Amino acid sequence: MKKLLLLVLIIALVGVVGAAQTKLTIFADDTRTPLLRDLGAQFTADTGVEVEVVEYAWNDLRSAYVTSTQAGEGPDIVIGAHDWVGEYVANGLVEPIDLGKKVADFSPAALEAFTVNGTLYGLPYASENLALVYDKDLVPTPPRTWDGLLAICRAVADPEKPMYGLAFQNQAGNFYQFFPFLSAAGGYIFGYDAKGALNPCDVGIANDGAIFGATLYQSMLNEGLVPSGVDWDTLNALVEGHNAAMYITGPWLIGAIKSAGINYGITQIPPIKGPNGAYNVPKVFTGVQGFMVNSFSENKTIAMDFLMNYVATMDTMVALMNLGDRAPAYLPAVTQAGPDILAFSQQAAFGVPMPSIPAMASIWQEGGNALDLINNGTDPATALKQAQDLILTAVDCK
Amino acid sequence: MRSQSPLGLSMKILLLGILDAAVVWAGVGLGTQNAYALLSLLLLGGVGLNIAILSRRAYPLRYLLPGLLVLFGMVVYPILYNVYISFTNLQTGNLLQKSQVIQLLENRYTPAPEETVYSYQAYLSDKDDLLLLLTDEQGTHFLSQGKTLEPLRPDDPRLVTQDGTTGLDVPGYHAVTGPALYQLLPRLETLAIPVDDATLRLSGIRQFKTTIKQYRYDPKTDRLVDLQTGVWYTPVDGRFTAPDGKTIEPGFQTWVGLRNFVRIFSSAAIGKDFLRVFLWTVVWATLSVFFSFSLGLSFALLLNDRKLHLRLVYRTLLLVPYVMPVFISAFVWRGMFNENFGIFNRILGDLFNLQIPWLTNAMWARASLIIINVWLSFPYMMLISLGALQSIPDQLYEAARVDGAGSWRRFWTITLPLLMISLAPLLIGSFAFAFNNFTLIYLVTAGRPAVLGAATPAGATDILISWTYRISFQGGSGNNYGLAAAISILIFIMIATISAIGFRMSRHLEEVYG
Repeated sequence: MKKLLLLVLIIALVGVVGAAQTKLTIFADDTRTPLLRDLGAQFTADTGVEVEVVEYAWNDLRSAYVTSTQAGEGPDIVIGAHDWVGEYVANGLVEPIDLGKKVADFSPAALEAFTVNGTLYGLPYASENLALVYDKDLVPTPPRTWDGLLAICRAVADPEKPMYGLAFQNQAGNFYQFFPFLSAAGGYIFGYDAKGALNPCDVGIANDGAIFGATLYQSMLNEGLVPSGVDWDTLNALVEGHNAAMYITGPWLIGAIKSAGINYGITQIPPIKGPNGAYNVPKVFTGVQGFMVNSFSENKTIAMDFLMNYVATMDTMVALMNLGDRAPAYLPAVTQAGPDILAFSQQAAFGVPMPSIPAMASIWQEGGNALDLINNGTDPATALKQAQDLILTAVDCK
Repeated sequence: MRSQSPLGLSMKILLLGILDAAVVWAGVGLGTQNAYALLSLLLLGGVGLNIAILSRRAYPLRYLLPGLLVLFGMVVYPILYNVYISFTNLQTGNLLQKSQVIQLLENRYTPAPEETVYSYQAYLSDKDDLLLLLTDEQGTHFLSQGKTLEPLRPDDPRLVTQDGTTGLDVPGYHAVTGPALYQLLPRLETLAIPVDDATLRLSGIRQFKTTIKQYRYDPKTDRLVDLQTGVWYTPVDGRFTAPDGKTIEPGFQTWVGLRNFVRIFSSAAIGKDFLRVFLWTVVWATLSVFFSFSLGLSFALLLNDRKLHLRLVYRTLLLVPYVMPVFISAFVWRGMFNENFGIFNRILGDLFNLQIPWLTNAMWARASLIIINVWLSFPYMMLISLGALQSIPDQLYEAARVDGAGSWRRFWTITLPLLMISLAPLLIGSFAFAFNNFTLIYLVTAGRPAVLGAATPAGATDILISWTYRISFQGGSGNNYGLAAAISILIFIMIATISAIGFRMSRHLEEVYG
């Protein structure tokens, strides 16, 4: 037992030891870790500074970073999505980044996404968004308007088979996927205040345009054109069984679509004819990924050196682009982009960056609940108005 | 107690010495990190350990202490910490300690209006004294030891030009270049050299820049001053606040007394949803325990029958749901309950043309959850019932048979009451576990579907603990740990009360039948 005690103590003590040698620590997701380890080895060879890349699942990165940084044991550099930055900044966990002359090499929209209150907090590398992916065998020419899309849906839909016209992840309150319907005719998340910053007290998910789009969605659901209760696993099953003609999805599904042998095309989500007769392209959320620097790092200069001279280079950015098949935020890399990436980028022209302010938590929660209710047959106006009320209450605007 | 051999004694003292050294070493580490709570715990443990091993009278403690220490570290300490958090404003925007925020703000610099960039060359003496040769854009050289900036005349004898670059030649100092420079950078990063109104700071691998320091903290008055505007900020509610109400991000953790509890009890929204969520929580826990116990006991009775062949095989098979990780089972069940592609609706659709909205309709989602939980927990009930059945003496059954009692009668008057004596506490435990079974709810429905007219994010299948999670971490403006801690204390009180009542009732059973 004494031995056991000793062992326990030794294990407990290992954590207390600090490293004397200067070391750069990076928290990264599993996809990008190998690439960063290679870069790190190169950096070590050039500068003698050891680079440690700690691997996390993408979904664990955020909490791992917040918890460790708060305890004073965070990494020097962390990978993340731009919509986490609002929380990081509110908590004082990230350092402003000055890209210097290289700022011109980055997509302005990607930089905008990582900007909070006029200050840039991240070095973006990729962006992702939804678009329309269609099965060329079933849909020879992609629809030019939403009416065209509905016509295709009606032509192919067959509940017996089953075959659906259009599929997307509409279960478990997936507000991210729901937003294009709301935004087409004028729905929005947050308005802007006089200074140009997002105003959490101006929520636009229950205006006439949003209700119009939600009603359109519900009618498609009732007509059997869109399958209900589709989560990520179901979507993959649909792809696997060739059970849908079109998908509203992002680059993350392309791998499954390829391996299912679907002869696919990627195009813009067609414009929806609004209540006023005008055609509007549904706006999708764009999510930008990038590198951030810990505000408590004692190696900020080295971290910035690594980011500017080893990450913000053509080779690394092209490698990062190809790792996830995401559109590059580094403009020179666009020349190397494949057709799929370019097709998703076209939709990005009609994208809005996901708001990153902390009040967004309420939007995900209540907007998702509204989708839940609409799926279950609640009148869209009632569901969305309730969501808007609850959001305004939750963020103390009421 | 047997006397110890000299070898054993010396081994004991040696091991104890190593342990004590380890405790001291860890203590110094914790002390330098200002982790005083953990430090005092460590010291307490260390002293306790020595007493337990050295004192003869404390001999039994040797066996108890490790358990007690783990109990304290894993159970008591987290509970105390939870109680502490419930009295703070820990939430998004108030995450850091005050000292961390002061450190951040004191190190906040803005670019100077007329920015001057200096290239530099660093020199170190053998004693690690630092000397910097800084050169501005006009080519003027400056000397610095890290505290002040001292201009050098172009003809200063210490300046040496070689191959077009100017360097320093000071005896005892050597130039730092290459990898050694990278090792020096963290030290250079801490420098703040005052120049006129600005501060010179490292701004890249090879350069310093003039910057303006933004805030200074005055520990005496506990205030922060904006050096540009001269406005004084005082800490109010975990934020440095100016007289006009303007606050500086980020805020910090601070004690807020009973505010979180007051918020729960005074919030009309929380009050409105509480009863519905509480009722479903009780129904969920009760039905889960009732059905899984009924099923588990039925199987146990079957397996307890000696006439049954292959008992071991059945028992092993019936344990499978219990052995499978909940994470896997939950996802498999969710797939099977899928509205369009799940196995249940496929079969029901083919046979009866039925399409049941298993996870999207409120009542069906609740039923699905209970079915899943029964599947997951009946093997446990079967196991404990099997064990308890062995302890019922056969004579009782024989006597009952002699008296002419049928098998049904024997079950209700002998088996069940006697089982309850040993099983009731376990059932109460299961009830408490189901009451707080966040994992299953979260993995299967995450509290969904949503309910029309809800005043908080309380879904149809939310139990108290998952509702707490949604209020505290998935709504509002980010994470609210203080509120979550306060609600979980209330839930703890509720479960403790229910369990206490349950135990009292089961003790009553014991008195009657025991």
